[in-house]
Amino acid sequence: MIDPIILQPGGDWRAQAEVFEEIFFVFLALGTLVGTIVVAYTLWNVYKYRDDGGEPKESFDAPTVGELPTGQGGPKAKKLFLSFGLSAIVVISLVVYAYGILLYVEEGPDTGDEGDIEILVEGYQFGWEYEYPNGHTTTGEMIVPADQRIDIEVTSRDVWHNFGSSELRIKSDAIPGETNSNWFSVSSEEVEAQGGEATYRVECFELCGQGHSAMKGQITVLPQDEWQEWYEGTGGDSAEGNSSSASVSAAAVGGVPA
Amino acid sequence: MSELPPTTSVKRWLVTTNHKDVGILYTITALFFLLFGGVLALLIRVQLWDPANQVLSGLAYNEAVTAHGLIMVFWFLSPFAFGFANYFVPLQIGADDLAFPRLNALSYWMYLFSGVLLGVSFFQGGTLSAGWTMYAPLNIPMYTPSIGSTGAVLALAVFIIGVTASSVNFLVSIHHSRAEGMGIMDMPMFTWSILATVWMMLFAFAAMLAAGLILAADRVLGSVYFSATEGGSLLWGHLFWFFGHPEVYIVFFPALGVMLELFQTFSGRRLVGRKWVIISICLISVQSFLVWMHHMFLTTINLEIKTLMMATTIGISLPFDLVVFSLIYTLIKGRIQFTTPFLFAFGALLLFILGGITGVFLGAIVLDYEFRGTYWVVAHFHYVMFGGATALFGGAYYWFPKVTGKMYDELLGKLHFVIFFVSFNMVYFSMFLGWETPRRVFEYNPEFQTFHQIGTIGAFILGFSFFIMFYNFAKSYVSGPEAGDNPWDYSRTAEWAVSSPPPLENWPNRPSYASGKLEFVKDFVPDGGPAVKTDSDGNAATDGGDTHSDHIKEYPYWDKHPSHASIWPFALSLMTAFFMFGLSGFADSVTFIVGESLASTSVEISNLLYPTFIIVGLVGLIASGVMWGLEDFYAPPSEFAERWPFNGVEKVKLGMWFFLASDVIVFGAFLSAAIFVRYNAGWMTWEPLTESLPGLINTFVLITSSFTVILALVAAHRNSRKGLLASLGATILLGFTFLAIKMWEWHHEVFDRGVMIASNAHGDPIQASIYYVTTGLHGIHVVGGLLIACYLFVRAYQGHYMDDERPVEYFGLYWHFVDIVWVFIFPLFYLF
Repeated sequence: MIDPIILQPGGDWRAQAEVFEEIFFVFLALGTLVGTIVVAYTLWNVYKYRDDGGEPKESFDAPTVGELPTGQGGPKAKKLFLSFGLSAIVVISLVVYAYGILLYVEEGPDTGDEGDIEILVEGYQFGWEYEYPNGHTTTGEMIVPADQRIDIEVTSRDVWHNFGSSELRIKSDAIPGETNSNWFSVSSEEVEAQGGEATYRVECFELCGQGHSAMKGQITVLPQDEWQEWYEGTGGDSAEGNSSSASVSAAAVGGVPA
Repeated sequence: MSELPPTTSVKRWLVTTNHKDVGILYTITALFFLLFGGVLALLIRVQLWDPANQVLSGLAYNEAVTAHGLIMVFWFLSPFAFGFANYFVPLQIGADDLAFPRLNALSYWMYLFSGVLLGVSFFQGGTLSAGWTMYAPLNIPMYTPSIGSTGAVLALAVFIIGVTASSVNFLVSIHHSRAEGMGIMDMPMFTWSILATVWMMLFAFAAMLAAGLILAADRVLGSVYFSATEGGSLLWGHLFWFFGHPEVYIVFFPALGVMLELFQTFSGRRLVGRKWVIISICLISVQSFLVWMHHMFLTTINLEIKTLMMATTIGISLPFDLVVFSLIYTLIKGRIQFTTPFLFAFGALLLFILGGITGVFLGAIVLDYEFRGTYWVVAHFHYVMFGGATALFGGAYYWFPKVTGKMYDELLGKLHFVIFFVSFNMVYFSMFLGWETPRRVFEYNPEFQTFHQIGTIGAFILGFSFFIMFYNFAKSYVSGPEAGDNPWDYSRTAEWAVSSPPPLENWPNRPSYASGKLEFVKDFVPDGGPAVKTDSDGNAATDGGDTHSDHIKEYPYWDKHPSHASIWPFALSLMTAFFMFGLSGFADSVTFIVGESLASTSVEISNLLYPTFIIVGLVGLIASGVMWGLEDFYAPPSEFAERWPFNGVEKVKLGMWFFLASDVIVFGAFLSAAIFVRYNAGWMTWEPLTESLPGLINTFVLITSSFTVILALVAAHRNSRKGLLASLGATILLGFTFLAIKMWEWHHEVFDRGVMIASNAHGDPIQASIYYVTTGLHGIHVVGGLLIACYLFVRAYQGHYMDDERPVEYFGLYWHFVDIVWVFIFPLFYLF
């Protein structure tokens, strides 16, 4: 039996979605800034130095056919390296910043061993099967409690799939013969905000055959007590569809017939 | 050798080996594939108009997505660029032609017929539907059973044969045939970009060839590489992306080269920091082989490797920064002319900046985790690859007057650019906005419908814009104004120093840069007077040669005219296509029923079509190969060329070196695959499938045959026909001994012990597959070597090679290589 340890929202952990929003914003802001400066500078110069049909300046040294290239370095090389250095600083500092966040995402929040719920996710053509710690399995819909770290172990029984939920910002390759780990967590506030039951769309992000487009699933997050009730009702059997509180969409279960 | 017919005759285009003709063929064929891939793109966009839309079935949609990707990346982008490379690299370096004109024609015909095979695959029960990345195990017959899927894989293999021949050819040409005085740093930037491209191609496509051959073995022979759970899927990922990442630069670099040329020509400025740009290009080429796992961040590779790959990925973006800044600074203080070619090149820079910035996003692993498999990736690589191709369209306008002698319509050209640029951003920027849509999914979240609809409208406008270009080119070709030899004010490179179109053999006299600028030198003057020079404007001093016609030049000190026509490249490619077509249906039409022993195995043929094509193709292949060898074809060497760093190496030998270098990668990939899978299965859980004795004997047999090849060379050098025949004969005998022992080993040591290609009575089935496929590939190399050796033997019997022992030497290089490969195979498969 699982003895849940409640994760404190606002404490020292952040959901992957939150982490992603921050880093995406930073990249987007800097990317837009740098892009705008470079493009604007370029456009302005192209306009400024257009050939207006007037006499060329005396300093203008027109090239001729058959000349060998000269000026391998040239006085402008200094400017070149200055810009290069600046861009290198921007790019490298962005990546160092992103790397720190990567380490957090790889580790996940520390909840102690007993706090985690580990769910095996197995992709198949064309759907997902979830196996809970008590051996119970569901297809199409994964039902998990709020305020708890959910560890998923992702694999595939046929071809290469990718298990992902855009809203939760989680994604894992599901590769036959390999097991991939990931984690996510949803706060009870979030569940309440969505009306007592939070649902997230699951999609396959790797082409896996003719039913790839329709290979959808769902993650349903319930409040702790409701989930506990549901979980105890599963009794470790592997029957499907005995989820009482959650509606399993018909399209999601079993996916598309192969 | 036959004479080259006039351009109006169809026969001319079948037999031509001239680099300019081949360049035109490449360009036109590539534009055809642009239309082909474009129509598929429009089908995709129609399906995406509405998430509930079902114009295509799931399978048909996947086929469209797959073929669109394959066609655009392989059959359009690179060949379009290599149309220009064929035409202009020899002109830019001052060569008469590429180093191996027939091999060049062969590359083209392999390209064309591989495309035909891909087209045919649609009618073989549907083409491949596993995506252009062909991830395993979706790419094996269990999941993509159609014959056409195998057809598409084999089409790709034929394409790669052509690419490898082309890479070798360009490498030898650029390293071996540069005009006197043109050092490697003096080469025009377009040529530089092609040089870097072919270096990458040589190695990257070898890895892809290995991946494709293994996949073909899985599909045709039934081996189980990619269905193996001992890392089969990841093996494909590694092999594919080891090729796939350099491939991005392979398609982008020629476009970059065009940008570098056009920015200079239309601003009247010389490239800023030219040396540093060249160094950056070289660095990127090397680094491109060290970043492939950033395509696999979400697989199970560990954090240390991810970190390393993130660092190398960021590392590769830095030289690109430098190149982009150099392009921008080159424009400053210029006199920029907004011609159509410049607009396209400039547009390409803007698109590439956006593609590059969004690429940095993908380099940050945390962001990549979320972008993986979404339209962010789709948008990004279209901005980079198709954005790059934008410059190639600029190249088409830029060189159109040189190739046709006519000027295109500037107004229509600008109209094309405006419509192209606006609709390009409609299609691909909308993908950034709707980026959360998963790739290759048409039942997407309706939230993003508006973005996808903008994309679909944009795609149709984008497609339409190309018809403006086609109309412009067709109209101008028929009735455009004469362009003159050099329509651009500030062009520098040598193609503008000859007439439009250039004469068959390019130059009025030998081009030379010895004095620091292009001059045409007349080397031989009958009365022994001084060499006569003409300047690059073509003001001939005493040279009476007509540079504006297709007449064959006289080389007074060579007793032969250069050849320009051969039908054998066409024949050899056609036969290869026949063979591969037959092979695609082999597994479905031929069944082996295995009895108690190999002898009691019976064969059932359900469909004669495919086996017939295999036999016709194979016989035709050998016949055209022999005819090729016997043909009297003369491609004059460049006597006064710059050859750094390969001074003193004869051109065929250099070609052989390059070819073997790529073959090293092919075998390296096969052996790495064997090691990778065995490591995943648990290294010590595998025992050799066979006794080590037959392998040991074969090792001695092959090493001895290496000695006899050396003896053959010595004999030929000493003009001893008997000695040559004896040692060649001994080599052939040893080769056959090797094959006989190999067959005995396959039969008694392995097969009879219950080890077949897809099953293994003593362990993992994948171990059996690896054993058969790897030693089989080596065996095919031995068979190929023996065919050549037999050919040499017959020719030696007729008295050849006495004055010129080089063919024996080159065969020896190949033979030694095959022997060395065995030295690696032996311990891996027989000892441990």
